[in-house]
Formats: sequence, structure tokens, C-alpha cells
Amino acid sequence: MDIRMREAIRYLGYGRSTVDEKTLQLMKESLVELEQLAKKKFVYRIFELEESDDGQLMIGKLNVKSRDLAKNLHGCKRGILFAATLGVDVDREIRKYEVLNISKAVVLQACAAAYLEAYCDEMQEKLAELFHKEGCSLRPRFSPGYGDFFISHQEDILRMLETSKKIGLTMTEAYMLTPTKSVTAIIGVYDTKE
Amino acid sequence: MLQGKLGKELLFLDGGMGTLLQKEGLMPGELPETWNVDKREVIRQIHRAYYEAGSNILLTNTFGANRVKYQNQPYSLQRIVETAVENVKCAAPDAIVALDVGPTGKLLKPMGDLDFEDAYEAFKEVMLYGAVAGVDLIHIETMSDTYEVKAAVLAAKENTKLPVFATLIFDERGKLLTGGDVPSVVALLEGLRVDALGINCGMGPEQMQSILQEIATYTSLPIIVKPNAGLPKQKNGETYYDVNPEKFATALQKLVGYGACVIGGCCGTTPAHIQAMVDACKGMQIIKPSYKSHTLLSSYGEAVELGKKPLVIGERINPTGKSKFKQALKEHDIDYILKEAIVQQDKGAHILDVNVGLPDIDETSMMKEVVAELQSILKLPLQIDTVDGNAMEAAMRIYNGKPMINSVSGKQESMDTVFPLVKKYGGVVVGLTLDEEGIPKTAEGRLAIAEKIIAEAKTYGIEKKDIVIDVLTMTISSDSQGAMTTLRALELVREKLGVCTVLGVSNISFGLPNRPLLNSNFYAMAMQKGLSAGIINPSSEAMMNAYYAHCALMGYDSNCQNYIAHCGQETGVIQTTETKQMDLKQAIQKGLKEQSHAIACEMIRTNKPLDIIQEHLVPALDVVGKGFEAGTVFLPQLLMSAEAAKQAFDVLKEHMRTGEQEGLKKEKIILATVKGDIHDIGKNIVKVLLENYSFEVIDLGKDVPPEQIVEAVKQHNVKLVGLSALMTTTVTSMEETIRRLREEVPTCRIMVGGAVLNQEYADMICADFYGKDAMQSVYYAKKVFAGA
Repeated sequence: MDIRMREAIRYLGYGRSTVDEKTLQLMKESLVELEQLAKKKFVYRIFELEESDDGQLMIGKLNVKSRDLAKNLHGCKRGILFAATLGVDVDREIRKYEVLNISKAVVLQACAAAYLEAYCDEMQEKLAELFHKEGCSLRPRFSPGYGDFFISHQEDILRMLETSKKIGLTMTEAYMLTPTKSVTAIIGVYDTKE
Repeated sequence: MLQGKLGKELLFLDGGMGTLLQKEGLMPGELPETWNVDKREVIRQIHRAYYEAGSNILLTNTFGANRVKYQNQPYSLQRIVETAVENVKCAAPDAIVALDVGPTGKLLKPMGDLDFEDAYEAFKEVMLYGAVAGVDLIHIETMSDTYEVKAAVLAAKENTKLPVFATLIFDERGKLLTGGDVPSVVALLEGLRVDALGINCGMGPEQMQSILQEIATYTSLPIIVKPNAGLPKQKNGETYYDVNPEKFATALQKLVGYGACVIGGCCGTTPAHIQAMVDACKGMQIIKPSYKSHTLLSSYGEAVELGKKPLVIGERINPTGKSKFKQALKEHDIDYILKEAIVQQDKGAHILDVNVGLPDIDETSMMKEVVAELQSILKLPLQIDTVDGNAMEAAMRIYNGKPMINSVSGKQESMDTVFPLVKKYGGVVVGLTLDEEGIPKTAEGRLAIAEKIIAEAKTYGIEKKDIVIDVLTMTISSDSQGAMTTLRALELVREKLGVCTVLGVSNISFGLPNRPLLNSNFYAMAMQKGLSAGIINPSSEAMMNAYYAHCALMGYDSNCQNYIAHCGQETGVIQTTETKQMDLKQAIQKGLKEQSHAIACEMIRTNKPLDIIQEHLVPALDVVGKGFEAGTVFLPQLLMSAEAAKQAFDVLKEHMRTGEQEGLKKEKIILATVKGDIHDIGKNIVKVLLENYSFEVIDLGKDVPPEQIVEAVKQHNVKLVGLSALMTTTVTSMEETIRRLREEVPTCRIMVGGAVLNQEYADMICADFYGKDAMQSVYYAKKVFAGA
């Protein structure tokens, strides 16, 4: 089964239970629609990382206090700031189905989330290949809002990547990404030779 | 200085600023605007270099100078703008100084949280500073959203007398990041009456050629082209551009040949690029902008052109003669209106007429709300239909595109009201051929009024292409020559005036039997006489048959594709065999909408509505609800069952006498997603389920301020409020809302839910109940009202 399908099933709360025929049908439809709807875009930049003993991190000029992030990036000399989005049309369509057919809205939104994750994985895989040539590997993505990595850093990341101009990704005053089907993250780069 | 040259000779803008500042040490994320003060000499040096390279128009270093983006900085915005203008003037005393205005970096409502008017205010502020500081021109650029560019152009037009340039970022397929295409952008900007428009950033000069050609097809204005030094490339996470000055210059030379009138460079271009460009292009003749006669209207995502093949304007968003629609308006049931809209879109309408006028509602605020909601989910352009000038202006202002306006007439008062609005906001306006004397009996009389309307519009600078004439359909039961006069007038208007036409078709058959028969025949006849768009019901099979047949016969439908697709639709009949073996409970439990509708229609013949609800509907829902709790039924299924139950419920409601409806006691519950939170799918799920259990939900929507929630609770005397929040950052506004509710309406119960909440959190902010899923809120609501 398609990984996106599997993830979407998980988001919908099915656990190990079998998915009913009608929901499965809605999911298939949704994934087909997403091929049309999603305007996938991503942007990244590489920054030097410095870590001080008290858990402070410097990502380029950005100062972050987060034990969890520090743990995730431990031993990394560089970090990739990463942002990706599926664009506004997905939001519009989900909103449309909220009015017309709420079950479809719920399924579409789960599928869009899975679609986005798969896209991020795919892009990260490409980056990993690039870094592999240099003898480096990548840590998993770590996003603002995870653990004690304050969500307010969303703003710094968007600004440092110029996401609003480059991929149309912005945020609300409450630091929610808009379009909503979007991700920002930092990915640690470590030297495999060491 | 500018106006004498614009569109007559080639003008040169400057090149990149940001990329040069990065070389001078500007860090990623740092705002370049502070350098106007801190590193004044660096900025002046760059301006000087461009000036010496041959730029006639220099942009101030104010791209991000607006209060939304420019925050927590050492200098005031006013100081930044004043210094930025001074820097250009010092470096280049006789250049044209353009105030550079970039985007706010936020997405506007409803997709984001920035209000249209707040965006407007932010632009207005900077533009006023710029005007006072003595700029010659306002240059709005690098926009990706038609709505934001509209706010910026309006701010410039309403607060300054300066010329306005506007350019947007298109991708290689000619689309904006927010989905708009070239004709939709041209329609919008020409409607707002900018002085020049075009494209910048995003791509290199070569990739811009096809977009430029498309712009040139549609616009009558001078075109601005300001490419990057090639497509952005990445190396080690750094963006760079690799088209060198010579190649850049050659490419720009070519673009002048395709119609560029104002040229310059964006990211990655340097004084050397501009120098090479000026050297290569100086003395070239531009293609002078010429009048284009396309009748265009637009939405955020697409333009529609009238006058090519006939189009369908959906008439269903209109309370006239529709009691359900009237009720929806009175009850503020926006979802009902949205559904009407989506159905019409799905049935093939190209434009939707929007009329929400009722004697006892506030039409202006309703019109604004409905237009905002419609444009948040629909791609179709709207036709704003009202006789109230205030409602018309409110809707035109917030409309994301160039709307159709219904209507102006030959009455002086009407023209005095409507034309200034069309001049200011842009629009294609329907001109009704009637005046102070009424509707002329002859075709020639109607033609004369059409001429008068067009002539009067001209005095406002509104071109003929933006007038669409309605020669009016008269009922044949009262005047047997009614149809003939209308058709003759239609023909005359098309022939003598060459304008597009619309007609409200169905009036023809008023008072006669089998109206679809007359309507569809008359519709076909009108299309034959050159009707550009019929205002019809797209759900009427007879009308759409006439439409698709006409298009197929007249060669508007290649390979008869649309005709074939339309005929294919009609065979969709529900499987009755399955229905017969199934009862209502099963249909609901399986989430089968059509079946539960059909079964309910069947049952209503022999059963009382209330009995069906009590004995079949509610028990079925209970089974599904319990399954959901037990983990054997999942959210999508729960909701499918809810929708199936709603289908049945709607059937029963129609058959209930008023007395019986009252017997179904409806408790009111208010739902809202709290301020700052714009994601409300969770709240909408709860709403569907609560309605299923016969609660009346007053949905306040998303991003709702505490005071509005308190106000609504008081106004409707509601005993239960449900609040949702998705982000940790918005739980604070949930807490604030609860605090205010406690103060002002202590008896009201509060339930909360949302991704970030848990029981502990809910207790901390003093909610009465935390619903871990949608069903829990139903159970709690039942408990609250059972106890009352």
C-alpha cells in the first residue's frame, strides 16, 4: 500500500483496524485530487551550527534555546533550514468540503497531511544524497513546536528562508503556518567519517 | 516627467538591491530597510551606480517597509521612508524617484489572518510618508496575491495622486503562487486603473517571454518587465543567479521587441547588468500600448471573458421567490448559500450572481460576508447584484478580482451612483435599458438607452468593453410581442454598439404552464441572436440542454466534448434495488446519503415525521456513536452516518407542520474557534454532530474575538458554548474568552476541544468540560440540557 495511504489511515485514527470500503474510496479520490491541487514547493538553506555548553544553539545568526533541539543536533556542524508547502488550493478545497461533505473534508485533510509528509521525506532524501557525496548524513527533521523548541522560531525560519516570496509560505500572528499544509524544520548535518 | 514618457519611450528601472546588500554583509533574515539610516553611504552608492548605469527610475530601499513586516526595529517607519527617499535624491538628483512597496509577507484572510483593511492601512501609512517625502511614483512589486495587490493599489489611489506601477511574480506556467493567471491579473489591475503593470522576480528574462506575450495580448497599458539574472540556482543552500550582463542585455532587447515598455532587473542583477541593458536597448522603439477590447472579469484564480462563446450566469443566490433562501438569510445560514453556489459551479455555471437583498436584513453587512465566504471556496467570478449603493461598494471593495456588477440603468440617479464605483474599483457593469420613462416598448428605444449608458460611462473613463447591456425580458403572457422586441433589441445592440449582452431569461414565461419549455426555447433564440451570457438556473435540465446543444451546434464545443459529458450526467440514477432491501437505520449506519434520502421519502407516506426521528433516526445515530466510542467505527464513518441522517432529517422537516417543528425542541449552542486560530475543521465536525442530535448551532466561525462570543451568548441567551483551539499560542485567547464569559454570563457552560488541549489544560483555563472527541461534546450537551 502507498505510504501516504498508510499514514493517512493512521491520522484518521484507524490504528490496526481495517478501513471500510467507503472511506478507502474517499482516500483514493483524495489522493488523486491532491495530484492536481497540491502546488508542492520547497526551499532550504544551509547554516553553520554552533552549540554552547548551556544548551544554546547558534544557527547562522539565529539563537535558539532548546534542549530537545540541541540533543537532536548534537555533533552536527551544519544545519539545513527547510520549508515546504502544498499551497493554498488544498486549503480552499478542504474548506469547500467542510461545507459540502464533512466526511470528505476530514479524509482529504488527513490525506493532504500524509501527502505533505511524503513530499518532505522525498526532498530530504534528495538532500541526503547530496550530502552523502561529502561523507555526511542527515538527522531527522525537527520542527518548531516539537518539545521545547519554541514555536515562535517559526518566524525566524520563514524570514531566513524568505519563504513568503519564494514559496508563498507565511504565518499567522499565532505562528500557525499558512497555507496550513506546510512544514518548517531544521535538519542536522553530521560527518559520517568522524 | 514620467507621464510624458510612459508608454511613449523606453524607460529604465534599476536593478537588484537585496543581493548587493548581502554582498555588503546583510545577514539572512536581517531587514535591509534599517540600512537606509545605519549604512546610508552603502545605499547611496548603489543608487548612484544604477543612476550612472542609465536608470531613469530609481526605487527607494523600502521593499519591506510596512508595519506588518517591519517590527521591533530601531527606527520608525516614517524615518526609514524619509531617509530612503532622501538617499535616492542625493545619489541621483534628476532621476524619477519611485517608492518601492513590497508585500506584507502575510497571507490575507480567509486563507491567512491578515485582514484586507489592515493590509490596506499598512500600505497607506508608507505611501503617505513617501508622498510627503516627495516621491514621483508608487511602485508596487513582487506581489503573489491579487488580493494583497488590490489593497496596495487602493491605498495608493485613495491617498495619493501619484502614478502607480504594479508588478507580480508569475511562474513559468503563468500562474501566481496564489493561483491567479495573466488575464485575471490584467483585469484586476486595469480595473483599479494603475498606470503600468507587469512582471518581476521569480524568473530570468528568457522564461518571462511567454508571460510577457500573454500580458501584451490582454492589456492596454504599458508593460513593466523586471527579471532576475536568470532562474535562481542553489549551491550549498545559497541562492545565486548566473545570467551575465551581456546575456541579460540581449534577452531584454528581445523583450522590448515583445512589448516591454519599462525594463529593469530584479534579484541577482547589478549595475553592470543595467549598464549593459541600457547600452543594448537605448534608442529602441517600444511597441506602443494599444487598446484591447476583451470584456474580462476575474476571481482570485481565473478570468472569464464575455463575448467569445455564450456563458452561464447562475441565478440561484437570490431570495426572490425562494422561501428556503429567505429563511437561510434570516437565520444567517451561510452554509446554505455556499452549497447553492457549489452546486451551480458543479453544474457548469461560469459566473455566479449574488443577491442577498431582503427588507429586514442589513444588506451591506450580509453582502460583504457572503462575498467573502463565496470567494474563499469558489473559483468562479461573482456578479454583485444589488440596488443598494452601499452594499455594492462594500462588496466591490472586498471582492478579490474584477467583479460583474448588476446593475446600472439609464436613470441618471443610477448612473451617478454606480459609475463612480466602477471607475474606482473596476468591474464589468450590466446596463439595463430602462430610464426615468420606464422600459421602452420598442427595440429602438432600448437601443437608445444603451447608447446613453455607454456615453455616460465614457465620461468616467469607463470603456465600452466594461459595459454589458441587458435589453430586458418581458413576459409574453402580458405582451405577445415581448419576446420579439427583446430579441430584436438584442440584435440591434450587438450590431450597432458591439457590446456584450446579458438577459435574465426566465421572466419570459411568467404566468404560463410548462415554463422550462418556453424558457429554454427563448434562451436558445437569444443565444442565436448573440446573447453573451444568460442569467439562468444551471440546475435546470431544459436550460442546460439548450445551452450545451447551442454550443455544440455553433462550433464552440470542440469534438462536442462538453455536450457529450453533459448528456452522460443524466444517466446517473440511484440504485433502487439496494434501497428496497434496506431500512433507514441501515442506510444511516452505512453512511449512504442517497439511500437514506430515498427511504425517508418512502417512509414519510405512512409514518409521522417525529416517530421516524424517535424510532429510526436517533437509534441509528446512537449505535454509530457507541461504535465510535468503542473504537469499531471511525471518524469518517461517523461523519458519513451524520450526513446520511441529515439527508433523512431534511426530508422529514419539509413534511412537518409548524406545530410539529416546534415539538422538536431545539436547544441553542454557540460554537467558535477562538481568536488567532484560523483552522476550524474540528469545530465544524462538532457542529455537524450536534445538529444531528437536533441542537441548533450558532456558528460564529473562526478567529473570533472574546467580546464577539460574549455578545452572541447574551444576544441569543445561550446556555452552552463550545470553543476550539488548535495551537498552544491560541489557548491563551481561549482562556481569555472563558474569563470574560465567566464575568459577564456566569450561568453559561463552556466546553472546549482541539488538538493541543487535554483535561489538565482544560481545567487550568477553567472550562466546564473537555471533549476529547466530537461525540463527547454531544454527550455533554445532552447532559447539560437534560439537567436544565
